[in-house]
Amino acid sequence: MIKDSNVPMAMTFPPFLVVLLLALSTGPLCDAIWLNIPKTGTKCVSEEIHSNVVVLSDYVVVSVEDGQTATITVKVTSPYGNNLHHRENVTYGRFAFTTEEAGNYLACFWSDNRTRGSGEVVVNIDWKTGIAAKDWESVARKEKLQGVELELRKLEGAVEAIHENLLYLKSREAERRSTSETTNARVAWFSIMSLGICIVVSGLQVWYLKRFFQKKKLI
Amino acid sequence: MESKWRKIWGLIGLLLLNFVNNVSSLSLTITKVDCVYEIVRSEGDIVSGNFVVVDHHIFWSSDHPGIDFSITSPGGGILHNLKGTSGDKFSFKAPRSGLYQFCFHNPLSTPETIAFYIHIGHIPNEHNLAKNEHLDPIIVKIAELREALEAVTTEQKYLKARDAVHRRTNESTKTRVIGYTVGEYILLTIASVLQVVYIRRLFSKSVGYNRI
Repeated sequence: MIKDSNVPMAMTFPPFLVVLLLALSTGPLCDAIWLNIPKTGTKCVSEEIHSNVVVLSDYVVVSVEDGQTATITVKVTSPYGNNLHHRENVTYGRFAFTTEEAGNYLACFWSDNRTRGSGEVVVNIDWKTGIAAKDWESVARKEKLQGVELELRKLEGAVEAIHENLLYLKSREAERRSTSETTNARVAWFSIMSLGICIVVSGLQVWYLKRFFQKKKLI
Repeated sequence: MESKWRKIWGLIGLLLLNFVNNVSSLSLTITKVDCVYEIVRSEGDIVSGNFVVVDHHIFWSSDHPGIDFSITSPGGGILHNLKGTSGDKFSFKAPRSGLYQFCFHNPLSTPETIAFYIHIGHIPNEHNLAKNEHLDPIIVKIAELREALEAVTTEQKYLKARDAVHRRTNESTKTRVIGYTVGEYILLTIASVLQVVYIRRLFSKSVGYNRI
């Protein structure tokens, strides 16, 4: 048990959280964002990811009230609605998957109403995709790299990721340009067609009414 | 609340590594106010990031008041304050370590989706080490290189989010063009058919020439 003299007894850290924080921070990337989960309702974070990307995420509930940590429910869904990870009444967890479809991946958090306090639950979410989720420890062990070599290898990975991103942006821009051009052509075509339809319909009207009046012998 | 976070930060600070490489790129849907917190481990770290409002549900007018964005330092001072933007980049040197708050405020009641990316870059320097340790200059150079690459990545995330916004606008334009044009043709035809039917009815009572 870690005790800090400045903090009242009620807020000492449970040992598993210490172990978890240790585990999290010795990983390749050790910082994360904290989010407030409201007492009622859900808080969702999402990211648009393309296919074949590794996603790795850890979440820990940080707020401690009355000596016990609040619990949350987590649900992660793929863009087609498949449930990738679903846990209830947990204080920490981790999920990892490789994306199969390109689209919006959603991770939603609910606070369990059992917490007696009135405050919101604070969750620490560490969300890593692609190159950030790469396990450098195993690469270092496999290829026996250390020190400067390992750092340079990480830099090489980062450069590759940048290159990939650039190609992706380029392809999206090309797609967008073709959509713009077809929309442009369509606007021109449809306006001319609408003029044509106007003329045809009024011609039909005039012809029909003329025939009608001739039948009624009014003309 | 404050002492608890300080304690947590203190615990994490004990488990520091030399390089802190931080990436978090996410989209958040906000209704009124929403805040994201990040821990900056040492003073002097460069915090850079960007955010883009992705989901503008605009129907008639093309000007939306925008989102208000503010950054609060752990001491409570406001470092950055933007009003009515639809996306921006920011970068500052952290005056002190601790928990920084990045808040988005939505003046309207429609929920908005915001894609944000925050990066905290740390270059090791002499201050953090004990007296008899030496800092290998190559490590510092590598850290600087990495920070430069991270700057490129940050810019790319911004471009990606902006591209997503433009793509949505484009697709919405495409569906609007098709939908409204076909609707226009159908309405035109219906209007002219109704005209003809009405005129027929006016003349169909065979009462005579002088009726109308």
